[in-house]
Amino acid sequence: MMLAGIEKPSVTFPAFFRVREVSGSFVVTNAQGDWVILTAPEFKAFGEGTVDPSSTLWERLKAANLIRAEFDVPAAVARLKKRMKFLDNGPNLHMLVVTLRCNETCVYCHASRADMEAVQTDMSAETAERSIDLALGSPSPFITIEFQGGEPLVNFTVVKHAIEYGQRRAKEVGKSIEFTMVSNLALMDEEKLAFLLDYKVQICTSIDGPEHLHDKQRKLIGSSAFKAAVHWIKRINQAYVERGLDPSLYHVEALLTTTRDALSRGREIVDTYNSLGCRALHLRPIDPFGFVEKTASRVEYPREEYLKFYRDTTDYIIELNKKGEQILERYAAIFLTKILNGEDPNFLDIRSPSGAGISAIAYNYDGLVFAGDEARMLHETGDDTFLLGRVGELTYEQMMAHPTVRALVLASNVNGRPDCVNCAYNPYCGADAVHTYKTQGSLSGRMRESTVSAVHKGVMDYLFEKIREGDPGTMEVFRRWTINRSRDHFVQVPG
Amino acid sequence: MLDGFPKDLAVGDLAEGSVTLTVDAAVYPLEAVYGAAYIFIDRCFVLLDRPKAGSVSVTLADKKGAADADALRRMAGEFANELLTQAWRQKIVEENRVILETVTTQALAGAAARPVSSEPSLDDLASFDFTEESFDDPLGIAMSWEEKYKKKTPTEAASEASSEGGASGAKP
Repeated sequence: MMLAGIEKPSVTFPAFFRVREVSGSFVVTNAQGDWVILTAPEFKAFGEGTVDPSSTLWERLKAANLIRAEFDVPAAVARLKKRMKFLDNGPNLHMLVVTLRCNETCVYCHASRADMEAVQTDMSAETAERSIDLALGSPSPFITIEFQGGEPLVNFTVVKHAIEYGQRRAKEVGKSIEFTMVSNLALMDEEKLAFLLDYKVQICTSIDGPEHLHDKQRKLIGSSAFKAAVHWIKRINQAYVERGLDPSLYHVEALLTTTRDALSRGREIVDTYNSLGCRALHLRPIDPFGFVEKTASRVEYPREEYLKFYRDTTDYIIELNKKGEQILERYAAIFLTKILNGEDPNFLDIRSPSGAGISAIAYNYDGLVFAGDEARMLHETGDDTFLLGRVGELTYEQMMAHPTVRALVLASNVNGRPDCVNCAYNPYCGADAVHTYKTQGSLSGRMRESTVSAVHKGVMDYLFEKIREGDPGTMEVFRRWTINRSRDHFVQVPG
Repeated sequence: MLDGFPKDLAVGDLAEGSVTLTVDAAVYPLEAVYGAAYIFIDRCFVLLDRPKAGSVSVTLADKKGAADADALRRMAGEFANELLTQAWRQKIVEENRVILETVTTQALAGAAARPVSSEPSLDDLASFDFTEESFDDPLGIAMSWEEKYKKKTPTEAASEASSEGGASGAKP
């Protein structure tokens, strides 16, 4: 029996399409990402080629470029070009792991942190300089240097040096540069903060939910990790206001790691973020890297449970927005930008091909260079599959011509993956070859058994259900989530 | 015997912690068998054999030794799923070769391009080749047709003619 009771499928009426049944409706997409949501009778008429040319269904199908006889080639080319714009530039995200030392111990630490005595895991000033030199070799006119750890504030001397050096070198080569730092904030002080503010460094932290959950998962000896982070979030936000910056745009954002304990606390997590002034919450599931190898039995969960958490929590976020709060769910914002706007927000893990190697590079404390942060995380657990070389020896051209980068690009193209190639969500989705390598042993992976694929499909099922329902309030919230307000204050342009 | 698998295609050995699967070479390409078998080498010793024409056997032996029936069934099942994935992926890549190569080329070309806004800097001088002969060209690929086949350019011809046609007199 064919979908929707189609008896005689037409080979001449529909243009190329993919379809997915979502709660009794049919989401039909084409290669460029145009879409319609059809009822079963509508899909039957579409599939059998019996659509009345004077009907609104015909107009909807035509507008979505799904009728073969009416196919608009220039429109399809323009739409595909717009969607794939991210291919034009080289790596713009460069992550410097300035130390593995960290003052907190997290049950899921993806970075494989080291003890505070492990000074041998500090990046040297020279390695930081060579890393930035390599990063500035990218043809991208805009470079982001992200300081990570461990805890980057532990090696703040090198962070400062890297910022001063990077700022100077970016001017010399005529590139815009932005610095960001991912920190638990517990080692922040007024002197460090003043430097970071003066040099326009964007600060991001981690919040795992309400205090009891955060402190259970992130141990700070002798103190509360949550209280430390909250204190500095408030202080930094206040400092932005003091410097005349719009607090709706300039504030500390935080990253959530969804552990098993978090699944029953969706609303508490949202309320925590909202109370801290965070305007974006990414309900991302836990990754398999780092210490999770050992703690998976405590922190992991089936993805069906995660998707229930996602739906309930995002429902709550939407309701808050309808009441005037301004907080978005990041997964939804990424997919909605692609679905509703036909643009790719260039989120590197949800892109085809993914950003590993061609858009994101990780520089380890010891100067080793990897095709992205997950690739670097694998190194810390003994796997150098995605090692590209060492700063000071590796040239930018060698890095981009590296066979590993080429393999990652090929393997992460959803048009080369079983399941993805037939999936209605193909134009909006992305594949992470490092993740499938880690979890399934191959770069291409088995998507039907992939937790990432299950999450992406589940999130998009939820979004298309909401779009089909068409509640005006929800659609207005979705529209707002697709607006990208750039934080120009943090971008340091040359000249 | 492994639950759910045809007994003539999948055989488990609990004592050895191994499972042997027989694959029809007409159904699965050999490259797919290699690809599927390879992902097991971190946890299994893997042996491929050709027990008879048209068949490939794959033995996966758990590196830890003896395994229970459930573990062997999972091992066989994962191999079977990976084998199907590899075979189908190979077919998809053949069919989508143009789009995959186009996107890959664009991605790598975009990433490898020289920055538009940057002029050659002083740093570039360190690696600049000042020699006139910057590369070997044994096949004469970089030479013009005239250079390669010894026919003189009009200028060279004029110059030679001039010298040859000087005080010593012009040649016929």
